[in-house]
This record gives sequence, structure tokens and C-alpha cells, in this order.
Amino acid sequence: MVGDIVARDGAAFEAQMLGVAIVIYLAATALSVVVTASGRARQHVTLGLVAIALTFHTIAIAYRWTRLGHGPYVDMFEILSSNVWSLHLAALVVFLSLPRLQPALAATLPPLAVLTIWMWLTPAKDTLHPVTYATIWLPIHVTLGKFFLGLVTPATGLGIIVIGRRALGITLPSLPDSETLETYIYRLLLIAAVFQSLMLIAGAAWAQNAWSRYWAWDPLESWAFVTWTGSLLFLHMRPRSTARPMLSAAFSLLIFGLAFYTFFGVPFISTSPHKGAI
Amino acid sequence: MIETFRRVLRRLGSVETTSVLIVLCAVIALLGIFLPIRTSNWMVLPFALLMANLLAALATNARLKSQSMLFAFHAALVAVIVLVGLDRLHAMHGRVEVAEGSMFDASAVAAEHGLLHDLRLGEVRFLQGPFEITYAPGMKRRETESVIRIPEQNGGWREVRVGDHTPLIFGDYRFYTTHNKGFAPIVTYVSASGDSRTGAIHMPSYPMNENKQGLAWTPPGATKPLKVWLHIPEPVFDEAKAWKFVKPTNTRLVLIDGDERHELSVGEVVSLGSAQLRYDGLRSWMGYTIVGQSMIHWIAAASLMACLALLGHVLSVLIYGSRIPAAGAEHGG
Ligand code: HEM
Repeated sequence: MVGDIVARDGAAFEAQMLGVAIVIYLAATALSVVVTASGRARQHVTLGLVAIALTFHTIAIAYRWTRLGHGPYVDMFEILSSNVWSLHLAALVVFLSLPRLQPALAATLPPLAVLTIWMWLTPAKDTLHPVTYATIWLPIHVTLGKFFLGLVTPATGLGIIVIGRRALGITLPSLPDSETLETYIYRLLLIAAVFQSLMLIAGAAWAQNAWSRYWAWDPLESWAFVTWTGSLLFLHMRPRSTARPMLSAAFSLLIFGLAFYTFFGVPFISTSPHKGAI
Repeated sequence: MIETFRRVLRRLGSVETTSVLIVLCAVIALLGIFLPIRTSNWMVLPFALLMANLLAALATNARLKSQSMLFAFHAALVAVIVLVGLDRLHAMHGRVEVAEGSMFDASAVAAEHGLLHDLRLGEVRFLQGPFEITYAPGMKRRETESVIRIPEQNGGWREVRVGDHTPLIFGDYRFYTTHNKGFAPIVTYVSASGDSRTGAIHMPSYPMNENKQGLAWTPPGATKPLKVWLHIPEPVFDEAKAWKFVKPTNTRLVLIDGDERHELSVGEVVSLGSAQLRYDGLRSWMGYTIVGQSMIHWIAAASLMACLALLGHVLSVLIYGSRIPAAGAEHGG
């Protein structure tokens, strides 16, 4: 009985912290667009808001973690929550390290707002850690995946700007020219490809541990492989391309789209063994 | 002649070929989601082509040869592909059900194995003991602990406990428990000629087939099958609560022989024409996955080498710039 009350109050506290974080994330997103549209080159307030939202979100996640005894990677809500957290953190780190790219937050945060709203609409149920998840390879795999997507997302923000400039004639003089943006897209996607490869290896190690086979082409594995081929194709096509900004921008969107579907679409559409057999 | 060979090799090892093959791999992987080709040899083709492409590139591509990390990375990739290929040729994967109180029977294994695998399951000997499986509320399967007894040289038995993650290891083979398990009525069948045989009838997996605890079974020497059902009067679990996989009590064996229906409690005998069948009791059976020793450690090592080399390449790009030839410039020779 007492345990029930503690659990219920814990869930309520978590929901409050998360609610505050969501509001601030969305405010930061809206602000990023306004600031960039007004032609300013720096986004200090936006980044400050993201940092505050992350603080509330971190409290919510940490509270849930201690309450349930496992990390946020079991059901849809937890996966969305941990990715909203890690992707905003990645955006914060990337744009603080590359201040001259800050206007591109206006193209990076809106895709994350989609995830944030989706998380908001997803019921947060208490989850149980499946037995097949009890291996060190899982947190390693999940963390590497977060680095991968965390690097692809700002690259996609830059890609949207490059395409927007070309297709819609938006100039955005507060940002460097598209050739320069392209070198950043390339570097982000190149580093992302390393994390992506390591993520696949850690995932295979987990599968070996949990289901005694390292690769079986289940739908999730197949989509993860296809996403990886997106990165490979990009790395091999870029050196010979004569239109690098558009090529890199298009690939950033393609890789982001494939990764997005692999991370958030496939596990909840198919009945792949990644869900763990009961 | 040599010049032609070089030209073919260069074409084979070109980055354009790589791009086409990467797309081919992606298309085949995608098709594999919808068509039953993923376990077929179709999967081998694009990777074999990629391998040829990679080898040719290592031999001919100037940029690969001049950038040591990039070269090391692609060479490690060759090693990964070769090792995975060898692993597939040596690997073995099988499934078997063993009833409590019975010895493992290699002939009951449904196995798939690579061309070079030397199947030696006949050397494996163990006796299935009891097992315990815990379930959390909501029918969530947790830990399985299966007791295995292995005969020793001195005539005794050694006991080991295995589970989903703690395999029973026999030389090159590993046995893992699975979600597949169920009940096995033990019956003694005395045929018309007086031959008596006792054996276990494995009912469908439980609780997955909770409402389908029956099957068609042909007694030894008989020509037509009987329908056999296990009647479980009391539910074994309450889905909303935590429970342990246990054998039900007071079970009855229902036999349907044409128009005749018989219901037996433990210890009861029924005449089936001039033969007889006795229901001796209920045991459980455990389904195991068997994995033949593979080369995963070597694959893991080669993959890690590949990643380290890739990391080295990335660092050199970040430190020294991308050193990519100007767009459209010729390279590859
Ligand atoms: C299948 C996995 C593969 C991965 C992960 C991979 C990865 C890479 C990476 C990261 C680069 C550097 C790109 C850059 O710095 O912009 C590269 C370049 C290169 N790769 Fe691969 N590669 C793979 C397969 C192949 C294959 C099969 C070939 C066979 C031809 C190949 C040939 C090359 C060549 C020639 C370059 C130099 C690019 C150039 O100078 O145009 N790669 N690869």
C-alpha cells in the first residue's frame, strides 16, 4: 500500500518535471526560429533555455531510473524521452562548440520538437526490464546510438538550411556560405558513421548475448543496416561529387530519415525479437 | 593482356562500383524484410561482389594506398567479411525439446549447419532435471533455471544450472533455455503383440498455446493417429499476478480414437482395440537453442580493428583537413 503511494507520487513528480521540460523545449524551438528570422547571429537565450529544459528533464529521467531500477529504453515513452534528452544535449554541445553555426538551430530544433510532442502524447507507464536486456552491451549500444543520432541531427539542420537556400532562395546571411556549411555536414556525418558502426557492433554483441545469434536480418537489423549503407554511400559519393553542398544536404536528410524510422518506427511496428520473446 | 587485366581490376575496384554495390546490399536487405530471402544464399551475392570490389580497390586505388588509416580500415573490412563467411560455413544452429527425466537425444535435434560443420551432437549426454521459470505480472517471462545432470566417468552425476544466458557448454556446443517449454504426459503403450514402451508426448508450448494442449499422436507400431488432449482442470496462473511455471495437478489425458473418447487420470489404463495405454503421470519439457561454436571473437576483434582505423581516419580528417581531391578530379589509378 505504502509502496503504491510512493510509486504514484513518484510518477506525479516525474510528470511535473517532464511537463516543465517540454514547455521550455518548445519555447526554445519557437525562439530559435524567431531569432534566426530576425537575422541575429547568436542564440544565447535559446541555448540557455535548452540547458534549463535539459535540467528538468534530467531530474525526471533520474527519478524514473531510481524508481523503476532500469534505464529509459524499454517502451516507446522511455525511448522517446531518452532521445529527446540526448538529442537536445547533443544540439547544445554542437552549437556551443561551433558558435557561428548557431542560426542553424532554427532548422535543428523543429525536428526535435516533433519528437518532444510525440513523447508528450505517449502515455508514461511503469515498465519492467526484460530479461534479454540484462547485458552490458545494451547500454553501450544505446549510448553509441545516441552519439550517432546526436551528430546526424545538427548535420540535418545544416542540410535543411543548404536546401532551403537553394530551393527557396532564403539567404540567411548570418550563417556561413553553403560550401562552408557542407564541410561541417561532412565532418558531422563522418564522425556519426564511426559511432553508427560501433553501435551496430555493440548491437550484434547484445544479440549474440540475448538470442545467441549476432545478426539475423530481423526488420530492425535490416533497417539499421540500410541506414548504415546510407552513410557509406555518402562517404563514397562525396569525394567525386561536383555539387557537394546539395549532395551532403540531401544525404543528411536521407540518413536522418532512415535513422528516425529505424529508431522510432520499426521497433513499434514489427514484432521483431528486439522486443524480447515472452 | 596485363594492361587489360589492370583496366578491369581498376573498373572493378572503382568507387562507382562500390556505390552501386552498396545500393544493391541495401535493396537486398530491404527486400529481405518482405520476402523470405534473408536466410537464403541471395544474401551472399552482394557481399561477395563487395568483397571483390574491396580487394580490387585495395590493389588499385591511389587514395586508399596513400592514406594508411583508410587502407587499414578497408583491409579490416575484408577480414570481417572473410571471417563472417567462414563463420557461416562452420556455424550450427539447432532446436531440441527434452522432457524432464529424459536423456538428451541427438536424433531429435532440428539443426541447420554450414557446409564445413562437423556435426558431433551424438557425443552430448545429459539428463534433463526439473526447471523453474518466474513470471512477472502481465505474463512477462523472467529468469529460467533448468537443472541438468551430466553423467561422470565414475558413474556419478554432475549437476549444472543453465538458463537463457547461462548455457550448458559441451565442447563446441552451447545449449540455451528458451521461451519454448511445456508439458509432457508420460504414457506406457502395450501393443497388440505385447511390446511395452514408455515415452513422453510433448504437448504444444505452454503458456503460449494455453488453449491448444492437444495433438495428433501415432502410437508406436500403429497406423492411424489418435488425438491426445491434456485437460488441465485448474488454471496454472493468473495473468495479472506473478507466478511460477509449475506442473498442474489432477490433469487428465483425453484420447479420441475415431468416435471413441476416453479420459484418463494418472495411473488409469485404457484399451485401444487389442492394445493398451496407461497414463503414468505428467512431466514438463524444455526447449533449447543449440549454437555451434562460432568465430564471433575473431569477428569482434576484426570489427574493432576496423573501427579503430576508421577513427584514425576521422582524426586525420579533422586535424589535417579532408584532403579530398578537388571535386570532379581524376583519382583511383
Ligand atoms: C562496406 C563498408 C565500407 C565502409 C564503412 C567504408 C568507409 C569509407 C570511408 C569512411 C571512407 C573515407 C571517406 C572520406 O573520408 O570522405 C572511404 C573511402 C574509400 N572507400 Fe570505403 N568503405 C566501405 C567499403 C568500401 C568498398 C567495398 C570499397 C571498394 C572499392 C571502398 C573503397 C573506398 C575508396 C576507394 C575510398 C577512397 C575514396 C576516394 O578517394 O574517392 N570502400 N570508405
